[in-house]
Amino acid sequence: MTTTTEPTPSQAAAMRHAKAKDRKKSSGRLMIFGFLSPTLIILLFMVAYPIISLISYSFYNFSALNPHEGYKWAGLDNYSYLLSDSALWKRFIFTGKFVFVCVSLQMLIGIFVGYQLQKAFRGRDVIFTMLMMPMMLSPVVVGFLWRYMLNSEWGVVNYLLSGVGITDVGWLSQTTPALFAAAAADTWMWTPFIILLATAAFRGIPDTIYEAAEVDGASPAYKFFRLTLPMSAPVLFIALILRLIDSFKQYDLFFALTGGGPGSSTETVSFAVAKLAFSYFYTGEASALAVILLFIIIGLSMILVRHLNKMGEKY
Amino acid sequence: MAAVSRSDTARATRIFILALLTVYVFFSLGPIFWLAISSLKGRADLFAMPPVWIFDIDTTGYESVFGVGAAAGTASAYGVTDALVNSVIVSSIGTLLAVLLGTLAGYVCSRHDFRGKGDFLFFVLSTRMLPPVAVLVFYHLMFARLGLTDTRFGLVLVAIFANVGLATWIMKGFFDGVPKEVEQIAQVNGYSRMYAFVYLVLPMVRGGIAATAGFCFIFAWNEFAFASILTTTDAKTLPVKISSASGATGIEWTQIMAAGVVLIIPVLIFFYLIRKHLLMGMTFGVLGRN
Repeated sequence: MTTTTEPTPSQAAAMRHAKAKDRKKSSGRLMIFGFLSPTLIILLFMVAYPIISLISYSFYNFSALNPHEGYKWAGLDNYSYLLSDSALWKRFIFTGKFVFVCVSLQMLIGIFVGYQLQKAFRGRDVIFTMLMMPMMLSPVVVGFLWRYMLNSEWGVVNYLLSGVGITDVGWLSQTTPALFAAAAADTWMWTPFIILLATAAFRGIPDTIYEAAEVDGASPAYKFFRLTLPMSAPVLFIALILRLIDSFKQYDLFFALTGGGPGSSTETVSFAVAKLAFSYFYTGEASALAVILLFIIIGLSMILVRHLNKMGEKY
Repeated sequence: MAAVSRSDTARATRIFILALLTVYVFFSLGPIFWLAISSLKGRADLFAMPPVWIFDIDTTGYESVFGVGAAAGTASAYGVTDALVNSVIVSSIGTLLAVLLGTLAGYVCSRHDFRGKGDFLFFVLSTRMLPPVAVLVFYHLMFARLGLTDTRFGLVLVAIFANVGLATWIMKGFFDGVPKEVEQIAQVNGYSRMYAFVYLVLPMVRGGIAATAGFCFIFAWNEFAFASILTTTDAKTLPVKISSASGATGIEWTQIMAAGVVLIIPVLIFFYLIRKHLLMGMTFGVLGRN
């Protein structure tokens, strides 16, 4: 006969489960600690520590070139000096203009192309993949490539433009054309990003909504402005903020494309930090400017994170 | 009549849209094409006005890039071979370690709830937003003090820090796609958490790990700001080497064009392999999760 001491299979499973649960807590904590700490340590060491140091540097007057001269407490002098410096305000104004021009171009073109690319046609996937290429390339190569193409003597851009009656634009030798040249290069590189996100957003809209609109006899324009755009707004907003952040801190592209010139007219805020820190070695001032830059970026990031959290609740 | 004119405007709109799209495709692909053919032009053809479309192929750019052929040993040899080796070493090791750490952190963030998880993930995400110059001011000093300036080891550290956040977020997304029942069943059957992770879950996200590595590699390979400030001679990576061809004596365009092609070929290969995961990789795993 079956003995009563022997547990049934389901009881055995339950016991094993209970035992596993006991072990679960401590082994789980060990796993969290073990798996997380390498990443946490490297980020604390490479991000948190540098930023805390940066903030403290920004209150001192010192130069990386003469560390033995030591740190002189400067209070808010670095900040008040920077904020009263009209040359610096020009860097912010230039950066703002650049961000505005290139991000609006990218959003307009990206949404348009993305919308057209959702219609199925032969070879769409191949074209889509090819159109994504520019954003993967090195900004330095992109910068030099555009510098080559925009040359006023032998550049292919002026050659093509002369075909439509625009001649002899000194793209990189005058302030305003240089702004547009940089915006063109950035737009070339980053419109694919908007296309990528826009297409994904458009695909997420259920077909039934369009079908319903069709039954009601809605015009294509109505469908686009009243259905497509509002319904894809959350994703397009992410695209917008990410582009605002990235173009605001743009550095590499300008380094290769204009070198900050003509004069210092195309230096972005990032560029100005690098120049202060690594050409003039005004480390204290450079830190203060970097802190200001960080505040702007953090502000934009907070908007993004809040938006993501809101989206997370919705889905 | 009215119906005809409406279909006429519809057709006109379609043609107009098609024309705009064609212009965009040319705008988008033209420069890459132009880079490729310019890299094969000789000096005379490179600066010809009007630009030449048919020309004799001239490989002096590539020869001086690799310091071979006619350019071998000459003073004008641009010699990117060392920089190429540096780039390969820094990007591969940096990618490997970033993906390793990111996989571990991503797994824990996908499977466990712990205090401060949201803060941790936000902190990790913030590395994506961080302007390189902000931390560079400090790195510049720290690297000099620790003797890391102009070393590959220093650049590997940077490559890990710059990519581990991306790897964590993307891998978290891939782990989220694996049903939690996998570990539950394993535990009911007496297997440890570690066993379930290594032998059951990891094989299920192989594709995700490969895609993550592809992204990290591309970003590490293209990285310029850190490498340009933290290297001087020995540890220069390819992007830094390319930028150094523009100097007091003007810009060596034949070399820049050839070096540019050399730099983007691996990128395009990796890009092709990870094209299905582009949305996830480019948005830090915030969108396009599987």
